[in-house]
Amino acid sequence: MSERIPDEQEYNFTVVKWFSIAAVLYLIVGALVGDFIAWELAFPELNLDNPYISFGRLRPLHTNAVIFAFGGSTLMATSYYIVQRTCHVSLWSNKLAWFTFWGWNAIIVGAVVSFPLGLTQGKEYAELIWPIDVLIAVVWLTYMFNFVMTIVNRRVSHIYVANWFFLSMMVMITILHVVNSLAVPVTLTHSYSIYSGVHDAMIQWWWGHNAVGFFLTAGFLGIMYYFVPKQANRPVFSYRLSVLHFWALSFGYVWLGAHHLQYTALPDWTGSLGAAVSMAMIIPSWGGAINGVMTLSGAWNKLRDDYVLRFLVVSLAFYAMSTFEGPVMSIKTVNALSHYTDWTIGHVHSGALGWVAMVSIGAIYHMVTKLWGKDIYSVSLVNTHFWIHTIGTIIYICAMWVSGIMQGLMWRATDDYGNLVYTFAETVSAMHPYYVLRSVGGFLVLLGAILMLYNIVKTISGARQPATAAVAAKA
Amino acid sequence: MSDFFSTDWSAMTTTDWTGLIILLVIAGLMTAAYFTILKPANRNKFEQYRDFVNHEDDMELDREDKHGHA
Repeated sequence: MSERIPDEQEYNFTVVKWFSIAAVLYLIVGALVGDFIAWELAFPELNLDNPYISFGRLRPLHTNAVIFAFGGSTLMATSYYIVQRTCHVSLWSNKLAWFTFWGWNAIIVGAVVSFPLGLTQGKEYAELIWPIDVLIAVVWLTYMFNFVMTIVNRRVSHIYVANWFFLSMMVMITILHVVNSLAVPVTLTHSYSIYSGVHDAMIQWWWGHNAVGFFLTAGFLGIMYYFVPKQANRPVFSYRLSVLHFWALSFGYVWLGAHHLQYTALPDWTGSLGAAVSMAMIIPSWGGAINGVMTLSGAWNKLRDDYVLRFLVVSLAFYAMSTFEGPVMSIKTVNALSHYTDWTIGHVHSGALGWVAMVSIGAIYHMVTKLWGKDIYSVSLVNTHFWIHTIGTIIYICAMWVSGIMQGLMWRATDDYGNLVYTFAETVSAMHPYYVLRSVGGFLVLLGAILMLYNIVKTISGARQPATAAVAAKA
Repeated sequence: MSDFFSTDWSAMTTTDWTGLIILLVIAGLMTAAYFTILKPANRNKFEQYRDFVNHEDDMELDREDKHGHA
């Protein structure tokens, strides 16, 4: 322990900078594609009869862009940043770090090319064709190896809880991705899954839900446990609770996948087990959310003018909300109404736009000022971004809640003779206004992301803050 | 009620037994984790790291309690 703590310059923050910028660019790309296909659902003629920009091909491009391009770049930026700062050591290998950067971006380019061409495995959130799947495994293992070796070489004995969450994500995503992607290739672009029928469905949703649980939750909880106390300059409310949160989440999440398959050919008890564990998971999830929010205990006034902190804390409110809503939707009685409706889309986006995007945006704003050693160009633009993003998210999820519940009720409505009251076309027509509203909400999120990029570019380029510049001009 | 809780143990397959054993092991580990983490005597062992990220630039972390040194 007599070793010196490295200076900032000795850490490898260049790769963190590149991942951070990439994350903001991918947020814009993902939101742009998402909003375009939202408008397509409201006005189908927007696909211009062009198969390359049809909903079916662009939808996986949207999900992969926001989850793996934006989310993945954010996770790699923040995990490389956090592991160095909390372990007091630079990355084990800069070459491997750059390999992950270029490898991950090559995967994203592969997605951008292959999805519009209609090349897909047809497995949700695992659509990429098998050669790209192989590349994902190589890059991901490299990322994990470099991260683990950095921890092995740490100069403090303690491994901070954020790093545990990142490790959990890395280990589980490796297992999930490899097992779910096992396939027999027949050509360079086509393959057949080794699973079939109900086994395929079970494996698919074991992956699908845990992509949410470990990629979009565990990893981003790592971000939360570093950046909330750091930005608030307050100790974590309870470190014991954070450790409990970690173990409960790691042990519990893997059991939930079957709740996506209620009322299917899967054995009934598997869905019940998935729902029961989902309900149990409310305890650690809410414990973590409360832990994050209560970190501000005694410093609530910071929320008045620290807009980065607002992003981080409001993300926790959405985390709490979506981790309550999910278990409720997994209960069979509720699921009978909600499944296959837009309610699910609303639920996913309260987690994605509210939790994942907001905690990421807060972390990136924080890192940009630290990495480039400059104050943010415009605080008022961060404030504007916060409100645009929050209002856009609320419009989006409320529209989908109303649309989804209405959709479910219309599908099950029967008259006195047991006949369906509504045709399917009538239910589609009834959803139109909500689809337009959803598109408006998505547009606001996109607009906020563009403002963020502008603000960050101006910050990095060293432009003076507008208020400061105005005062200087008068002087 | 007795029907609900009864189990035909002879019908259990290898997969059933594997799943049941994993479930029980994990439940046991979780119970041990809860006990260890919430035990009052262990409070300081964990809570000393509450402010870890705000002291990452100084040498406060040299004085860790019960965790030895790297």
